Amino acid sequence: MSESIAKYPHPGRTRAIKNFLRQFLGYGGAQLGLICLVFFLVMAALPNILVGPLQTAINATGDFLAPPSGDHLLGTDEVGRDVLNLVVHGARISLTIALLATLISLIVGTTVGMTAGYYGGRLDVWLMRLTDFFFVMPSFVLALVITPVVVEVIGRGQEILGFRPSLFVILVVIGMTSWAFVARIVRSQTLSLKERTFIDRARVVGSSNLSIMARHILPNLVPQIAANGALVVAGAIYVETSLSFLGLGDPLQPSWGTLLSLAQRAGAASAGAWWYLGAPGVCVLTVSLSFVLIGNALDDTFNPRRRVIP
Amino acid sequence: MSRRIGSILIRAIITLLMVAVLNFVLFRVIPGDPASLLLSGARTSVTAEQMAAQRQNWGLDRPLFPDQMVDYLSATLQGDFGYSFKFRGRHVADLILERLPATIVLVGLAQLIAILCGVMLGLYAGWRRGGAGDHIATGASLALYSTPAFWLGMILVVIFSTALGWLPGYGAHSPGAITSSLDWLLDYLGHLALPVTAVALGLIGQYVVVARAAMSDVVTEDYMVTARAKGLTGGQMLMRHALRNAMLPVVTLITLNLGYVVAGAITVEAVFAWPGIGGLTVEALNARDYPVLQGIFLLLGASIVVANLIADLAYGLLDPRVR
Amino acid sequence: MTNPSQDKTPLLEVDELAVDYGLKGVSSRAIDCVSFALRAGEAVGLVGESGSGKTTTAMAIAGLLSPNARVSSGEVRYRGNRLPIDDDAAMRPHRWSETSVVFQGAMNALNPVHRILKQIAEPCMLKLRMSRSEATARARELLELVGIPADRGAAYPHELSGGMRQRVMIAMALACRPSIVIGDEPTTALDVITQAQILKLLGELRSQLNLALILITHDLSVVAEACDRVMIMYSGRIVEDGTVAEIFAQPKHPYTRLLIESIPNPASGKKMIRPIPGDPPNLVNRPSGCAFHPRCPSAMAVCATEVPSLDKFGQGHVACHLHRFSQKDRVAAHA
Repeated sequence: MSESIAKYPHPGRTRAIKNFLRQFLGYGGAQLGLICLVFFLVMAALPNILVGPLQTAINATGDFLAPPSGDHLLGTDEVGRDVLNLVVHGARISLTIALLATLISLIVGTTVGMTAGYYGGRLDVWLMRLTDFFFVMPSFVLALVITPVVVEVIGRGQEILGFRPSLFVILVVIGMTSWAFVARIVRSQTLSLKERTFIDRARVVGSSNLSIMARHILPNLVPQIAANGALVVAGAIYVETSLSFLGLGDPLQPSWGTLLSLAQRAGAASAGAWWYLGAPGVCVLTVSLSFVLIGNALDDTFNPRRRVIP
Repeated sequence: MSRRIGSILIRAIITLLMVAVLNFVLFRVIPGDPASLLLSGARTSVTAEQMAAQRQNWGLDRPLFPDQMVDYLSATLQGDFGYSFKFRGRHVADLILERLPATIVLVGLAQLIAILCGVMLGLYAGWRRGGAGDHIATGASLALYSTPAFWLGMILVVIFSTALGWLPGYGAHSPGAITSSLDWLLDYLGHLALPVTAVALGLIGQYVVVARAAMSDVVTEDYMVTARAKGLTGGQMLMRHALRNAMLPVVTLITLNLGYVVAGAITVEAVFAWPGIGGLTVEALNARDYPVLQGIFLLLGASIVVANLIADLAYGLLDPRVR
Repeated sequence: MTNPSQDKTPLLEVDELAVDYGLKGVSSRAIDCVSFALRAGEAVGLVGESGSGKTTTAMAIAGLLSPNARVSSGEVRYRGNRLPIDDDAAMRPHRWSETSVVFQGAMNALNPVHRILKQIAEPCMLKLRMSRSEATARARELLELVGIPADRGAAYPHELSGGMRQRVMIAMALACRPSIVIGDEPTTALDVITQAQILKLLGELRSQLNLALILITHDLSVVAEACDRVMIMYSGRIVEDGTVAEIFAQPKHPYTRLLIESIPNPASGKKMIRPIPGDPPNLVNRPSGCAFHPRCPSAMAVCATEVPSLDKFGQGHVACHLHRFSQKDRVAAHA
């Protein structure tokens, strides 16, 4: 009986999903967010097809800091690279970092929150104390000191999983420092789920703790995790952009933040090269806003607030 | 009441301790010990004996735990944050204290403006929620909320400094002779205008979002129906019943932000070459000046913890339920 | 007050009132053709399931309709004068001075950040234009009146028990000496003993202050304890009204009968509680004819097509096709 709840798609479940989609897509913010997101995901998936390989100072074709023109739709940078080319390639780097960091954050947050809530007792106390620390200290501040040290330790040579070392470190550090909010929410949900009868039934049948958590508790946490995941992505983009802007990124794999950092160093603002610093910034703003809108819409769908009708 | 305060204090101390320990651990895992890092830049070559003597002098030959850690913690408690690599031999604490006032001025002014505009706008949007003003305010604040403040700063420079030439976009003072103190003040304020606007805009989005959410929660509360049933006017309902309840989460956010904003202004300071903590951070990052970075981290950590502490205590004063 | 004609005019008259709610372009009728009169000092119970329109009726009388509600027909008269119940600002002087409300679950109905004395004194200052000290003195008096020591006035709502908070709510409702007090499920969140105490207090205050009381509840036993007269609402309409004694002894509408049978009553010896079969009607797609016909054990063909009117029957009124036939036919129909 309890097995069937989690294992086989309930006839009501497809209808629930349909209902959810209808309600979620009913929000204007969700539609806008999804459209923008798809646009940027396509950009991130096919940069070479869209704008050709990433330009470098060597194969750059344009003038220095040339304003937008027919040849260069978004102008050029201080060494003559096409800004459109840089921004499209930057999409891949910024989005992968943000999404992978979010994945780490969700995995850590869910594990910590679920373990603390499920086992309770002393383990709960200690895990929550750790969570409190990461809850209070912003990811940006922690990453600001941890990233340069770790980069120093592992060295700047080889790429790790296709990332330059500093980018890899940034994504891991962001992931490892931004999970506290997820952990808190997952814990409180787990605490209330633990009291439900279907968990007792699973326990009586003899399921192990691990399988109860994976099969019965985790599926029920998906709504909360999804809604917060979208907000974590927005936060991760923000932190990555800020860190890269301060020079912790890697010029060989320029993210949007790194482009802004290069623009700042090249004096783009005082040279009036609005296209150079405008393009990456608008991208950051749009993607981050999309995730915020999607997160808000998910939250509204899953936790309908009181409506005005009495 | 005292039990609550006690547990708040204990949590704050634990968090601070964790910041200090993290600081200690982080900067001991860097390859090469501090002695060689610091002495490697010396003009004359350093002999092995000199190195060993220096190591002993600094206690680096003793075990990391507990000796060195206890030393570090007690030194930190006494305000001794060590010496900078880059600014040869200067005390980190001095460097930070020297830069702090500029950051406090910037952040303080920005906070003030953001609180005045953001909170009022948010409360208004929440009170009149669903209206045209609400939609505009909410949309704009979500966009601001998603925008990195430093990028706003760059855009402000392009528009108001480069294109229009109204305001300076670099540093805190114009080069050249300043004749009177009034001129000095006007010059300073001119330089402040753009960075303050950038930081404030970054905060306003957040304040509007939170104040609006708080207010729109409050207006659906039963006690607001009671207030309406009592025959209160809209203004009376707002001032007597809605405002104080809606301000609870807002005050918490404001106090928390007092801690975060020093960190948040780092990137903005970098854009404007503002001579504050942010500028120092960038210099330390570029020169891998770890002791300075360590000191800044401690400062940021401490300000965040203190802000949290104040927020927790203030909440108790405002909300009789948690006393 | 000495005008003899005023004695004949009821304190409150509700005449063919219909209220719609609009939500996302869909309009649904919350109450329809609601008519009744209330005399000074009378206690009337308004009974029905949730969604039956009893709260909307009460809120309309108190001038507290929400902004998305629209009065589509009918009117409410107070002492013979039409009340502007769909005009929020125009209703303001009427509120609390003439009609006050004791809300359900006083925890949320009281503002958590203000001391209770301040909340009771507030309407005295704002509506009666009392000075702060006068208002405080009056608030202390009111607290004593509802059986709370005046010194407890310094407490915050969360520091009081549920019953105490409901007493505070009652004290607050009496602040401006209204002629009508509406109790919106005033005892729902309370345990049985506290519930009885609160009902007793309301009854005492009613005779002491000559208050007219409208008690909204889904619980007929509360009405039996505290009211003279009762109106049963179903799906936005009054289906039966009459004196409490009459209704309990001889319910005429099948719905009323089922409601009374569903009261757990250990004294009657009946062991089984019979819940009413079927679901409450949907407000947007209401059943045709008599809204109760899909659940009615005595439904006839006419019930699905024609809405029964509320006709005089005995001492009270009933809206049921069964009672439009002669007494003989009715007996036959029941058999």
